[in-house]
Amino acid sequence: MKTRPQLTLEDCLKISAAAEAEARRNSWIVAIAILDDGGHLLHFARMDGATPANAGIALEKGRTAAISRRSSGKWEEFVKGGRTAMIKMPGILPVQGGMPIMAGGTCIGAVGVSGVQSHEDEQIAQAGIDALPKG
Amino acid sequence: MKSTFRIALLAAAAAAALPGFAQQPNPLDAVPEKMPFDMPYGTPIALDRAEAAIAAAVAEAKKRDWKMNVTVVDSGGNLVAFQRMDGAQLASIKISQHKAATAAQFRRETKAFEAGIQGGFNYLMTLDGVIGSRGGIPLVDGGKLVGAIGCSGGTGSQDEVSCKAGAAAVNR
Repeated sequence: MKTRPQLTLEDCLKISAAAEAEARRNSWIVAIAILDDGGHLLHFARMDGATPANAGIALEKGRTAAISRRSSGKWEEFVKGGRTAMIKMPGILPVQGGMPIMAGGTCIGAVGVSGVQSHEDEQIAQAGIDALPKG
Repeated sequence: MKSTFRIALLAAAAAAALPGFAQQPNPLDAVPEKMPFDMPYGTPIALDRAEAAIAAAVAEAKKRDWKMNVTVVDSGGNLVAFQRMDGAQLASIKISQHKAATAAQFRRETKAFEAGIQGGFNYLMTLDGVIGSRGGIPLVDGGKLVGAIGCSGGTGSQDEVSCKAGAAAVNR
């Protein structure tokens, strides 16, 4: 039988703390969502001053990356490249800032961030993922 | 003409068979002098306190080998922090969020709705945003509502135990 790694709450606490630290280091205020590979929420943190809108956007960016196994920024590139039809993809928010978490060659979840410029959101999400042990 | 008379007669007979039915006071007609649950909304809860509440709720659940989803919302009912314990059921992600938002927006424990519906006040189910299940509790700071915590994953009673531990950790 095929097996695959699964994110634990402990992993999520590490990811979220690292992402939050990256945001703080840059004086950025964001919301950070961590989801499993089914797009179901595992962990969420909205830093003081981040808006309710940031909460919803972070969740949707994360869900996009989780269920499509690619960054939400990749979807944004499709749209920017002229594939405007991609805006209508179900469950996809084509805005940079959602990154898949890859382990053992498969996607095991995702991190979505919202609050600053999209490329900065992505930088925060990646910093969170980088806190996980490689493998 | 004749049938109208018969209906009137039947109605009279029904009223006679249920003495006092019409006189029974409707508890919803009572007009209390004060507003119930009249707690002012305060500053939205800070992330560190929200996470302290969740940590306490998760610790309580872990102690009992329960698997919970725990949500904290701010005084506006908006998501601030969330944790899903390993193996907690998926449906409870949304339920924990719903419980927390309801507790914040109605300024009362969701248990109040559960009790009301159980007591026959079915109209409660028609109110917007209600969830009739315990496990959603307001978070209070200095007499003001700053947010709410919602737990879901077990029975309502298990959810409430975790929830109370979370609220107790930050209420002041």
